[in-house]
Amino acid sequence: MEKQIFESDIGESYTLAALQNGLKVYICEKPYYSSAYAVFGTKYGSVDTAFSKNGGDTICVPEGIAHFLEHKLFESEDGDAFSKYAKTGAMANAFTSFDRTCYLFSCSDNFDENLEILLDFVQSPYFTKETVEKEQGIIGQEIRMYDDSPSWRVLFNMLSAMYVNHPVKIDIAGTVESISKIDSDLLYKCYETFYNPSNMFICIAGNVDTKQVLKKIESSVKNSEKIDIHRAGIDEPSTVNKNYVEQKFPVLTPMFCYGFKQKIESPYRRIKSKVCVELLLEIICGEASPLYKRLMDEGLINDEFDFEYFTGRDYASIIFSGESQEPKRVAEEISKEIANIREHGFDKKLFSAVKCSLYGDAVRSFNSVESIALSLTDCAVSDFDLFEKIKFLKTVSYDDVLKRIDIFDDELSVLSVISPLEENA
Amino acid sequence: MLENCIALGNSAQGFFIKSDRFKTTYVTYNFFLPLEKENVAHFALLPFILTTCGKEYPDFSKLNFKLNKLYSASLSASAEKVGDYQLLRVGISVIDDKYALDGEELVNKAVELLNSLVFEPRVENNSFFTEDVEREKRKAIEHIRGELAEKRLYARSRLIEEMYKDDVYGIPKCGTEKQVKEITAESLYKAWEDMLSRAALIVNVISDSLPQNVFDGIKSRLLSIDRSGAITVNESKPTRPLYASKRVEEKMDVAQGKLVMGFSMDAVSDDRKNAAVTVMCDIFGGGPYSRLFNYVREKLSLCYYCSANSEKRKGLLIVDSGVEVQNAKKAESEILRQLEIVKAGRFTDFEFESSKKSIINALNSYGDHQEAVDSWYTIKSAMSNPISPEDFATVIAKVGRNEVIDAAKTVKLHTVYNLIPKEAQ
Repeated sequence: MEKQIFESDIGESYTLAALQNGLKVYICEKPYYSSAYAVFGTKYGSVDTAFSKNGGDTICVPEGIAHFLEHKLFESEDGDAFSKYAKTGAMANAFTSFDRTCYLFSCSDNFDENLEILLDFVQSPYFTKETVEKEQGIIGQEIRMYDDSPSWRVLFNMLSAMYVNHPVKIDIAGTVESISKIDSDLLYKCYETFYNPSNMFICIAGNVDTKQVLKKIESSVKNSEKIDIHRAGIDEPSTVNKNYVEQKFPVLTPMFCYGFKQKIESPYRRIKSKVCVELLLEIICGEASPLYKRLMDEGLINDEFDFEYFTGRDYASIIFSGESQEPKRVAEEISKEIANIREHGFDKKLFSAVKCSLYGDAVRSFNSVESIALSLTDCAVSDFDLFEKIKFLKTVSYDDVLKRIDIFDDELSVLSVISPLEENA
Repeated sequence: MLENCIALGNSAQGFFIKSDRFKTTYVTYNFFLPLEKENVAHFALLPFILTTCGKEYPDFSKLNFKLNKLYSASLSASAEKVGDYQLLRVGISVIDDKYALDGEELVNKAVELLNSLVFEPRVENNSFFTEDVEREKRKAIEHIRGELAEKRLYARSRLIEEMYKDDVYGIPKCGTEKQVKEITAESLYKAWEDMLSRAALIVNVISDSLPQNVFDGIKSRLLSIDRSGAITVNESKPTRPLYASKRVEEKMDVAQGKLVMGFSMDAVSDDRKNAAVTVMCDIFGGGPYSRLFNYVREKLSLCYYCSANSEKRKGLLIVDSGVEVQNAKKAESEILRQLEIVKAGRFTDFEFESSKKSIINALNSYGDHQEAVDSWYTIKSAMSNPISPEDFATVIAKVGRNEVIDAAKTVKLHTVYNLIPKEAQ
């Protein structure tokens, strides 16, 4: 086992261990805490819809299968994982996102026992025709619940308009129709590909002993042979499907997502470029920015206004979202401010203030074992050091940030609006 | 944990909760006022207007610039309903001085800032500024409308409205749109004065060391206010059981129906009874080991979510679920059947023990979350003797099966609210 220790001058450190079978383990000890948070994850999410294993044929799987598999993995031949956790009192859960599936627990007691349950059920798939059919019913209801959520719809409507081919545009849970095509055979195929230890990671933060935990993991993780996973390339043009999309909904205030698709040259964005874009977004429309004040004073946004750099493997976009009586005007104002910064730059005092702010946020994130463990999953998926952001924030320059303004291209923008039904208008 | 408790004036107390786990200091002001139909909307607006501008910071860009310079010091504001009281909260969280990059003083500056916002708002001639009030009114109205759009929240609030038509608990926590519209700059100023003189006040400081003079500073500010009429927080009026339960149906343009059931039960005031009700409610519809999760969701696949939660001060238990219209009747009778099983003590030892373990696990993790510690002591201090989460965990451990059954026996169906998709007519 190869081990590396990473340290930071804010009094935090963590260990990264790489096991023979390729599994990566990240552990951040927090001895003064009462609890610990552990995640066992795989680099497998909703976007992995076509792939091959060890040079074999490419297979295409139904949309929503990664999420379906997450639900099903909780069941083993000897009962479901929740009943096992119930005996220890741990809080257990799981989630599937675009690029990963994570199984997690948090506990203030019985850590070793909980870790054993986690390692055991994630490595013991058990799918039958009957259990798959039952799950189709439950997930069908989950999908319908999201159909009623305007905040979910406004985002996915935008992604569908923005991406021509990339599967990031599909709903993580798939559709009632797509999940009806899932059977146990397909689930096993996906499991055997993506749940190989070489594609997986374990991230733990809290009151634990690194040596003891590593010993336990080494003895419990299967010594499977490493495999070569090839994800089918995505031919995504640098255009968008349409610049505007609207859906009527029983809401009283319209909602919007205003996104800019970024032309990308490599699958992943490095942490430095992410930090620069985050700083730039704070400067464009963070709460201390002139634009935010203008939009608020004119009654165009409220506290729901938000923005994010939305990026993963082979996709990147900037998304501004919120509620507004006039979404089109908000979008125009944002575009104008971007053009203004492109031409005139931005206030250096504001730059220094937002740098302090992001630094403070990064320090604050070490308050929570959950936040540390989940940030470590980002490190595992995108292969970077947890402290890179804090280090870079000390040195990042005005010019580093200003040059990122070029990622905004009005032609690649999409405005998605949820507007009230006639009867609510 | 709770290090000391200091009297700050009539019906005003300061709590210092010492913890060396966090990288931040968190200070909150918590004002308790009786729920009053005529004042609720005014009071609910105060935390928000007080945290967006102040005498020293006339607009929120300047205020947010200051917060950024304090390394993302973060202001929080909320208005909640706790039993028959309205709880207004304003707080600040800031990273500790030792993390500042250039040795800046952060904690004392942040505490001063919070005090100035609460006690020196942006006002003139006994009135707030109209532009600030109108902006906050607009945001409040959009927030109220936003909650109406999220159907799970909407269905719950409709149930409470129906259950408490003649009781202050039926008053919406932020008032109605009409009440918000009636607020003026002058009437809001009166509400601010009223809050400072009449509210029961709890100030919490959670930090590894008590910032110098924090409580003395507040004490001297309070001395200049006539607090002879300050209220004390008493028990809430219990929910009156109905002889025959009520049914309310509403049709709306949604994909999935919502079934929300409200039950009356005995209100609790002492820790032991509180613990018994907590366990009862959790066995009935808490974690994945609970009756509702296992029978209504897993065994019968009647809905994606179905859970129970309670407002113990008020003697209220709510079951809410998202159901397809054809399953609503079956789900309702299954929920009632499961309640009868709990009342008859026919829950298993596994369910009983799992529930206790899960609650204890959660309580013992509270100390790892600054916000959770703050909320805990705010509610506990105002309502009863402040027992710590860890001590409450030991009370939970002592709860016996018979206490759970006794608690369940007081639960009576009061009102059933059904949100039905229009197309299902």
